[in-house]
Amino acid sequence: MKKVFLFSIILASIIALTIPAMGTETKVAEGSTIAKALKRGTLIVGMDIFVPWAMKDKKGNLVGFEIDVAKKLAKDMGIEVEFVPTKWDGIIPALLTKKFDVIIGSMSITEKRKTKVDFSDPYEYAGMSIVAHKKKAPGLSSLKEFNQPDFEIAVKMGTTAETAAKKMIPKAKLRRFQDEAQAYQELRNGNVHAVVGSMPKPAYEAAEYEETLYLPLEGTFTKEPIGFAVRKKDPTTVTYFNEWIAKNWENGFLQERFDYWFRTLEWESMVK
Amino acid sequence: MYNNKMRIKVLDVVILIALALLAIFIVYRLTTQLNYKWNWGILPNYFFYYEDETGHWVANILTQGLLTTIRLSIWATLVAAVIGVITGLMRISDRLFWRLVGRSYVELIRNMPPLVLVFIFYFFVSSQILPLFGVDDFIRSCSADTQKLLAYFFAKPSLFTAFISGTLSIALFQGAYITEIVRAGIQSIEKGQWEAGNALGLTWLQQMRWVIMPQALKRVLPPLTNEFINTIKYSAIVSVISIQELTFQGTQIMASTYVTIEVWVTITAIYLVMCFSLSMCVRRLEIYLKRNEGI
Repeated sequence: MKKVFLFSIILASIIALTIPAMGTETKVAEGSTIAKALKRGTLIVGMDIFVPWAMKDKKGNLVGFEIDVAKKLAKDMGIEVEFVPTKWDGIIPALLTKKFDVIIGSMSITEKRKTKVDFSDPYEYAGMSIVAHKKKAPGLSSLKEFNQPDFEIAVKMGTTAETAAKKMIPKAKLRRFQDEAQAYQELRNGNVHAVVGSMPKPAYEAAEYEETLYLPLEGTFTKEPIGFAVRKKDPTTVTYFNEWIAKNWENGFLQERFDYWFRTLEWESMVK
Repeated sequence: MYNNKMRIKVLDVVILIALALLAIFIVYRLTTQLNYKWNWGILPNYFFYYEDETGHWVANILTQGLLTTIRLSIWATLVAAVIGVITGLMRISDRLFWRLVGRSYVELIRNMPPLVLVFIFYFFVSSQILPLFGVDDFIRSCSADTQKLLAYFFAKPSLFTAFISGTLSIALFQGAYITEIVRAGIQSIEKGQWEAGNALGLTWLQQMRWVIMPQALKRVLPPLTNEFINTIKYSAIVSVISIQELTFQGTQIMASTYVTIEVWVTITAIYLVMCFSLSMCVRRLEIYLKRNEGI
């Protein structure tokens, strides 16, 4: 009996010691993220791979729209940039526990995410699109037709593709995957009816596998603002980023880079 | 036992043919039934590529990932072995307090899924503890030579803290299993051995060093090998906290190029070769120890 008692005291004290450690994150950060990055001489950016926002090229270096944006941002700040590729479903916890300064990772600004992080003004807009299997879901041309209980839609977990699919085609069954590549493979195998994903990947996919896949809709069915995500209670940093974004909308840098990565395929030989 | 000459019987032939047919069937299904464009061509490039400017071959991300996996496994194994021996000795201590500490550690870790433990350790414990010691700032302020040396043995400055927390979390849960192996190994040695040591006037440390451990080590080598191989395999788990090891680099390539099956097959083969070579090494060690048993 005594042994059991002592044993539970030790267990309880271990738990009691770890709980306060979990609570300390909510304290206000001393000094803004920007000030710290300038002092360190490096801006640490969290991101995940999304074609063509950010990708690994043949030499293992990161390339893509987002990478250009982050590099220009750091250059304008006069410091170095460092990328931390992070799994998408753990990217917000990683930001909150200070694994990096900012997420520049094609993150859509949503109300739900705003409860955890603060966003800058949009530096780009993304749109969702749908690509379907020719045999499993033939000849459809509107989203409504996908809204059937026996339809299965594959998405990448934790993305706004998941949110969009839930909202626009609520009756269809969602299948969530860790990586987009797995979602598309499931579609090619004919195990799901369609994949909802951020443009332009669905269009590329339909072009590459044109015997089996097709695009039911022209263009995108949502328009989502994309922003930098930073930790809460850091207005200095948000203002700083907003000014930078406004300036780079004006001088055409953001539009020019967007056109290069999203409207052309000149970069494809760098990756494949 | 091995004197019987190998003779191939009808049953062997039948089984071999059946296995070959199964393999052919799977390959057939993969190549014809699966709607997938195979592209093995891009893979070698992810191991090494030729840099035109310098005229050198440079290690690409898969090789770097493999090296990270190896570093991660070696350090995690070492730390786990230290944890395991210390808590293993606690588990057999005469004092109730040490036994309770050892027992609490083992039960806490053993009854938690490693994945959950890795998440908790990475997001809560390591993000609280490592900044306390100023690890990150210290690494960044090191001289270039020190950084190079650290990169050689551990990881690049930018990935250093992540590497440390990854290593520690693997070591922490592997340590629990090694603890049990150490305890069982020591307890399996007959009481007479301790008594003989006592009779010779050896101290506890001398008994351990010269009498108990050499015998226990031989007994625990097979289960210990299991744990070392598990360490290599479990190192793939830390890809979820974005430690840039083999599995993580693989998923990055998949996400960039959408070449999935080829990358998974390659990664699987690499793990298989790694773990198999380790098994073979330990097998030789076992044979060596057995041969020297009399001495």
